[in-house]
Amino acid sequence: MKDWIPFVAIPLTISGATVPGFANTYLTVEQAQQTIFPGAAFTRVPRTLTPDQQKTIESRARVGVRSRDLKAWKVSNGGWFVVDQVLGKHEYITYAVGLTASGAVKQIEILDYRETYGYQVRDQSWRQQFVGKTAESPLNLDQDIRNISGATLSSRHITDGVRRLLVTYEVALR
Amino acid sequence: MRTSFLFSARPSRLLLLSSSTFLTFFTSLFPSTALADEHLFGWVLGSETLPAGHAEAYEFLTLQSGKAEGTYRALDTETELEYGFTDQFQASVALENNYFYNKGVNGPRDALNDTNVFRFGGVELSAKYRLLSPFKDPVGFALRLEGGYLPHDEVDGLKETEGYIAPQFILQKNYFDDTLIIDLNGGTEFAWGKRPAEQYPRELAFTGAAGISYRFAPNWYIGLENHVRAEYPLFHIGNFEHVVDYAGPAIHYATQRWWVTLSYNYQIFGNGIDEPASGQTFAEEVRHQIRLKIGFNF
Repeated sequence: MKDWIPFVAIPLTISGATVPGFANTYLTVEQAQQTIFPGAAFTRVPRTLTPDQQKTIESRARVGVRSRDLKAWKVSNGGWFVVDQVLGKHEYITYAVGLTASGAVKQIEILDYRETYGYQVRDQSWRQQFVGKTAESPLNLDQDIRNISGATLSSRHITDGVRRLLVTYEVALR
Repeated sequence: MRTSFLFSARPSRLLLLSSSTFLTFFTSLFPSTALADEHLFGWVLGSETLPAGHAEAYEFLTLQSGKAEGTYRALDTETELEYGFTDQFQASVALENNYFYNKGVNGPRDALNDTNVFRFGGVELSAKYRLLSPFKDPVGFALRLEGGYLPHDEVDGLKETEGYIAPQFILQKNYFDDTLIIDLNGGTEFAWGKRPAEQYPRELAFTGAAGISYRFAPNWYIGLENHVRAEYPLFHIGNFEHVVDYAGPAIHYATQRWWVTLSYNYQIFGNGIDEPASGQTFAEEVRHQIRLKIGFNF
């Protein structure tokens, strides 16, 4: 039985000695709101998707809905502010999307990113590609959204997430 | 190939049975088949590579135990440094060390001298090139080449001067937002200089591995893996020596800067040319394998 000792002791020692999780929070929700819509007022709109709405969104966006409870705010200028999460390789990536009154992307911001690699998704030039996209846009990696080599998983999941949110706006917020 | 084993004119029925079992498993994975260079498994590899300019340091600890009789322990350590030269190409260098403890492993199937020694295991180099990404292409695909110099035999540390090269392909398919990952590996290994630790100087091996892993919580994956190996002395396919198939569970935890994987594999099938057809082989193989991998990202 002694043979097992190093196999148990080493991970326990490492996990005990390692500070769990690097909390890379770049923006709070309030900071993201003021970054995307400076000076605007925000009203939280509680909204839960019905099963039919979920089905419609998944069908049109070609991606699964992880939570039916939306984190959405109506903006005083007529736009919307939505906070969402997508899967990173290890943890969730939290991001926010600002939509204009007509449902086009005004800006996206990364709030939390705790992955080993792929921080380039925070680069302004990459996020800029989403500006003006609507539910009718393809939003496909390597088509209208450039992939970041070395950050493919994060690039794809954020692209999928924005596509899902744009459809969600059409189905449940507009 | 160890001492004084007889040649077989053709692969045994058991080999064919094992091969067909693996092929059945292989084909059952298609078209929905096989991960990331993060090691979700003990033995199965994924098709992802390190991003350019990043490095990873690994420590592998492998305990192999259980022969047909007596007490056998082989503890292998592998210290590896890997670097991403481009987003598609990575290379690594590894140092191996072994500790052997044999007592009473001297039956008709696996005659090893009693020993209690540490041995320098050797140096290994590997390179991996990713052609397709599992995150945006229909399937992830990579080619890998490994080579090494081993001054001691891996079974009981006998002196030898072995060099080997092992080309390999890696397929990976991800499902459900990349939370379910299936990997498939296949390859060959050509080894020279196995004398005097073994009876024959050259050996050909076919290797295969498959694994499935599911992300059941943030940071955590749990999976099952299977790895197969068949050896043919003198690079001659008619000279069947042995085939072995191991399988078992693997659990993986990863965070931003480090990860750890623990895997246990049991010999579910084996057949050696001069061993009783008991469904297991022990001349070069063992009953239990436990592997702990720890990786640090830079």
